[in-house]
Amino acid sequence: MFSKVISSAVLGVDGTIINVEADVNDGLPMFTMVGYLSSSVKEAGERVRTALKNSGYHLPPKRVTINLSPADIRKDGSAFDLPIAIAVLIAMGITPAIDMEKTVIIGELGLNGEIKPVTGILPMVHHCYRYGITKCIVPIANVQEALLVRHMEVVGVSDLREASYYIQGILQIESKINENDECINEKIIHSIDFNEISGQGILKRGMEIAVAGFHNVLMTGAAGAGKSMLAKRLPTIMPEMSFEESVEVTKIYSIAGLLDNKDVLVRKRPFRAPHHTISNHALVGGGMVPKPGEVSLAHNGVLFLDELLEFDKSVLEVMRQPLEDRKITISRVHAAYSFPADFMLVAAMNPCPCGYFPDMKKCSCSVNQIKRYQSKISGPLLDRIDINMEVKPVTCKEIFNDEKRESSEDIRARVQQARMLQIKRYENENIFFNSQLEGKMLKKYIRLGEEENKILEKAFTEMDLSARGVYRILKLARTIADLALSTEIKSEHLQEALFYRNSGSFYYNNYDKI
Amino acid sequence: MKQLENDEYMLNLWFCNIEGVGNVSRRKLLEAFHTIANIYDAREELIKNVLGDKIIKAFYESKNANKVIEISERLNERKIKFVYPGHEDYPKKLLNIYDYPMGLYVRGNLGNKINEFNSSIAIVGSRVSSAYGREIANNFARNLAMNGISIISGLARGIDSAAHKGALVANGHTIAVLGCGINVTYPKENIELFLEVERNGAIISEYGLDVSPNAGFFPCRNRIISGLSDGVCVVEAKKKSGSLITVDCALEQGKQVYSVPGRLFDQNSEGTNNLIKQGAYCVCSYKDILSDLFGEDYTKNKDIYIENKEKYIENKTEIKDNCENDKKKYKSNIIKTEGNVNKNCLAPMEKMVYSCLSLEPTYIDDVINMAGLGITRTISTLYMLEEKKVVKQPLKGYYIVAI
Repeated sequence: MFSKVISSAVLGVDGTIINVEADVNDGLPMFTMVGYLSSSVKEAGERVRTALKNSGYHLPPKRVTINLSPADIRKDGSAFDLPIAIAVLIAMGITPAIDMEKTVIIGELGLNGEIKPVTGILPMVHHCYRYGITKCIVPIANVQEALLVRHMEVVGVSDLREASYYIQGILQIESKINENDECINEKIIHSIDFNEISGQGILKRGMEIAVAGFHNVLMTGAAGAGKSMLAKRLPTIMPEMSFEESVEVTKIYSIAGLLDNKDVLVRKRPFRAPHHTISNHALVGGGMVPKPGEVSLAHNGVLFLDELLEFDKSVLEVMRQPLEDRKITISRVHAAYSFPADFMLVAAMNPCPCGYFPDMKKCSCSVNQIKRYQSKISGPLLDRIDINMEVKPVTCKEIFNDEKRESSEDIRARVQQARMLQIKRYENENIFFNSQLEGKMLKKYIRLGEEENKILEKAFTEMDLSARGVYRILKLARTIADLALSTEIKSEHLQEALFYRNSGSFYYNNYDKI
Repeated sequence: MKQLENDEYMLNLWFCNIEGVGNVSRRKLLEAFHTIANIYDAREELIKNVLGDKIIKAFYESKNANKVIEISERLNERKIKFVYPGHEDYPKKLLNIYDYPMGLYVRGNLGNKINEFNSSIAIVGSRVSSAYGREIANNFARNLAMNGISIISGLARGIDSAAHKGALVANGHTIAVLGCGINVTYPKENIELFLEVERNGAIISEYGLDVSPNAGFFPCRNRIISGLSDGVCVVEAKKKSGSLITVDCALEQGKQVYSVPGRLFDQNSEGTNNLIKQGAYCVCSYKDILSDLFGEDYTKNKDIYIENKEKYIENKTEIKDNCENDKKKYKSNIIKTEGNVNKNCLAPMEKMVYSCLSLEPTYIDDVINMAGLGITRTISTLYMLEEKKVVKQPLKGYYIVAI
């Protein structure tokens, strides 16, 4: 007898519907599985047979054929165990199929029949819902995650027998539906705060602008100036994520298997700080079946690269495409996978091998040493950085200054205001931040007066900017104007943007110390 | 062969291009044989007596006329002049020093200018310099050049570059003396300055084509720097700076030594302060140098000074004409403005920010704190001050006043 149930698989960051078909026929006793399967899916046969036996179902000595369609998609992972088992039970006539058209089944089986959680539930369920499926049967441990998809009926099962009884209608399991349209807005509490940082007024300002408009930052400065300390506190001033943004991030984390069991929805903006020994594949994603890399895990959040120049040169260069396109496409023999990678790059580095340039008294590096050191970072990468800042070590006076400093809360209030302006301005576009402006939108939303145009023209010739450089400056100026709650970009906003663009050590035209 | 024997230029060029024969050997040879023609015709044993066995082979190999012609052709191609003692363009001042170079390679307009320009000052100092030093060097060079004085330096990093740039800003005359081959730019990043100096003055070197820089060459070229000048001004020098070699040369040659004072604990001023202690002329303004050269009332009565000034004006118009022509060919980046903007015509906000700055580089954060105008306004004001050329960024994010 033939049977069909619906399951799902993950392709890149999205789910796709997979039909699991089973047929039990006369012939030599066999258990055959077809449909472009990876070895982890082929192994499902053994797991399913043993789990069925241990759950008390007797497999008759017949020829069992399983097909996973569409056959041109390579299937991977362990989420097909449960749908295969159910399909076999239906095909054997043990479980009568009732209304399986609109139900998706996902789960991994243990040999004793228990159902184990799997990764990628959110993208799979989300995709199924979009294609008209209204009910999902998932491992009990994944219920919270599946519930993130609104209006989807979620049934959590803990072992094969329970699942089978539920489908037969013998056992009633209370299903859950998330009808709550509001995002649960619990306040996120941070243990660190901006007011712990002494001095560095201009740097804090730079960070505020960066966060408000999602601009890339590079900090250059001596060891101990507070670069890393500041970067770590960035999440405390970042604007909250909207529900859509949260779901995007949760999807990626779901695939990577990094979700928290208790609080499934990722509400904190990601802050990823990979060590500088990271490989290309770990950064952008990779593997035979590509998994998201750090750039995707930092989606909608911060990717912090400390000691930028210690990274492999090739590792830095692979970031060029994601920095511009805000996604990364990884091609493999059987498919090309696309992961979102809209992150804010925050990098920190020393200006020279000894770390003390431009302090003449401390720095002992020769001009050539400094040049060689800095040449590790390429022009194209540098061109994608909007805020380039020189960090001066704090003075003793600043450290022991008891003056009240601004807390993260205050800064975030301003950032939030600027963000609201942006959300309102771009409500008809598919973007959230100024830095995401592109092509036509730039012309539509950014207009300059006559005086401002003159400043920009002059800067273009004097600073030797690229076309991209000009656009980046305009976007940065837009954010500065937003922070000042100004509807127009005034010349002072533009001048400040120009200052950040070229105030770092990479724009030294000479290497004179001071 | 005939060609070489009769042509003085060729003979001199040959004499300066014998492999393994340096200035000392050349002098010995001249002492022994009196003229270059004699050296050329001398018998092997006699040469051997002077030079020793090792060099003699190279000496005879160099007598190949084709090689010398090739060198001369290459020089012509690159518009490089070769001058030697006795040549009409050879700087007369150099003949006064003991070990004057036997040959000089020249780019630019040294020949007709250096002899007419009555006064020239060498401005030298550390390669690793402070913003203060560079600003002083720039200021002195600019103002001295405006008074018709030719600025001589070594086209090195730091003070040297600042001095050349200062002279160029004033459209004055400047000469760079290299410690490497005449067609080699060292350091590389000075290529633009190199071309600019060539257009507005001269580049000279004692070393021929393709000679790469060598630590030993630089002390030697210092004697030319001091030899060409009427006085040597040291702007910044560490305790054991190469600039002090120039000072030694200047003293040997009987030239005046000027030294710019600095703070006592400033490493970069240790050398200059020491010089003052030993009796160097302490200069606090370019005017000190002018009055030392031309007397206290230099603006009124000294003929030399007035003559100088006239020469400057002539030179300036000539250079301007040249520049106009050149502008089509090159983009001149160094010559941008002339003179100073009056600091009194600043807006109130600009004055507030300006008053926070000095010759000591101030970090942007400190400017913002001191000015108390808020970040955006301070940055925007600094931007405008920079536009007006009253404020400079010696390093991105650090500001000084321009003097």
